[in-house]
Amino acid sequence: MGGQLPAVGIGFRAAIADWTRENLDRFDALEITVDHCLAGSTSLRAAIFDLVGRVPLTAHGVGLSLGTDVPLDLAYLDEVAEVVERLRAPAYSEHLAFTRVPGRETAALMPLPKTEAVAEQIIAKVRTVQSRVPFPFLLENITYVFEWPDSKMSDADFLNLICCETGAGLLLDVENVYLNATNHGFDPHAFIDALRPGLVREVHMAGGVTIRDESLAKPLLADSHSHPVPDAALDLLEYTLARHTPSVIILERDDRLEAGDEILDDIARIRARVASRAEPFPESHGRACPGHPRLAC
Amino acid sequence: MAKPLLERQVSLIEHMTSAAAIFGGAGGSAPGLEGIDPALLRVEARFSYAKRMEKITAVLPRTFGLLGSSRDAHVRAFVESCPPTTLSRLENACRFYQFLVSCWKHEAPNPPYIGDVAALEIACAKVDADPGRPSPDRAHSGDIRRCPSIILLRCTYDVRPIFELGSEKAVPVKRDAPLVVALPPGADGPQVFEVAPALFDLLAALDDWTDPQGLDVAPDFAKLIADLAARGLIEVRR
Repeated sequence: MGGQLPAVGIGFRAAIADWTRENLDRFDALEITVDHCLAGSTSLRAAIFDLVGRVPLTAHGVGLSLGTDVPLDLAYLDEVAEVVERLRAPAYSEHLAFTRVPGRETAALMPLPKTEAVAEQIIAKVRTVQSRVPFPFLLENITYVFEWPDSKMSDADFLNLICCETGAGLLLDVENVYLNATNHGFDPHAFIDALRPGLVREVHMAGGVTIRDESLAKPLLADSHSHPVPDAALDLLEYTLARHTPSVIILERDDRLEAGDEILDDIARIRARVASRAEPFPESHGRACPGHPRLAC
Repeated sequence: MAKPLLERQVSLIEHMTSAAAIFGGAGGSAPGLEGIDPALLRVEARFSYAKRMEKITAVLPRTFGLLGSSRDAHVRAFVESCPPTTLSRLENACRFYQFLVSCWKHEAPNPPYIGDVAALEIACAKVDADPGRPSPDRAHSGDIRRCPSIILLRCTYDVRPIFELGSEKAVPVKRDAPLVVALPPGADGPQVFEVAPALFDLLAALDDWTDPQGLDVAPDFAKLIADLAARGLIEVRR
């Protein structure tokens, strides 16, 4: 029996819950935001848990703020563990970033200084997550507008160090690699090449906007999750698939959600790039998606 | 020597959530953030601010529409006085509502019914979010209480036409409007009912499990209770 292609799906969004259910056969998987299960409206939580057993679900968090230099909220992690179990998700992913400090919350993902000292702090935090949430843990690379002046490591080296020391996997946001490479002037292919083999377990794709402001030295690409995936990001996805074997690719869309045709077109474009790389992946676990024994209904 | 990481993170987020960074006026490098381009920090500050305001306007769309030309001034004052402390859409919206209420103590609300519109939008969001509290064991069979998940709202204007027709078409009438906001069984979303003042007062009194025999009620009270239970406004202990 040959290997399987990665599942392709979208992030579940309340605003298009009905549309998503009507088009469920167009998606191999849906990504659920864990925090919506914890603090969303009654109707949203019902809609999410109604999907269990109908389509494979993945679990992605936004509320952990892993990078804030304070102890993690263990009670929150215990709630996350219950949600991941209930969703029957194969893994739990969060961002390598911080969103808050005591008493203040930004709702925006902030980068960390990329130093070995900070990596050591994150490694300890990841181990805490792994001890409380008994599922594979994945870290997602974020897009960043600025760099801390004392950052000494490359993005890839920083991710490799943390993931290899802890055994955590990578939710590779290919769009973010493309944005960061363009905004900060590094080679995105070299970044992909530098990632350790086997690290990439899931992938995010998205489309953003260009910000032009006279105060900026140059236009800035922004990760708005609002527009079709650019061809350059799809090219980078294809490059990634030639070197890594993620089990699922999720299209992130948070704005202009009424453009259902655009979303389905992006799904088709992603599938086309996946098919063009259709060398069967190594057989693993004998299940629907290699590397994710639970990524099946 | 580099400052401790948390200290630097605090400097960054305090700067980014400040009105100066969001609306301009923060010219040079922020304290503790030397070496980072202030223009890039301003971009991040605006991203974060936009996300927060999206959450608030999602809960209070009609209120924002009614603020009209005063909207920008209110939003700026809110940002200056109420930095974000939570990711929660509902909590941020409640915070903005409380800010508006405090403004209206010093300035007449314009239009005059905007307070009732805001209160109703918040009530709908709370009803949709609240899973309700579990029943305590001390209730006896036949006892009744108001459903914990409903919200009672006594409005000075009947603002329901704004929710039904849109603010540009509706003209709220100034009159006592006792409203109940509830999520009845099987409903897609929160429903708003106007009830008679006497019924509103009854629901308000049924804060805890109550023996209906002890209530001074009309002969068809049992039918009324059954109807209210079917609508998800009353719980009857079996």
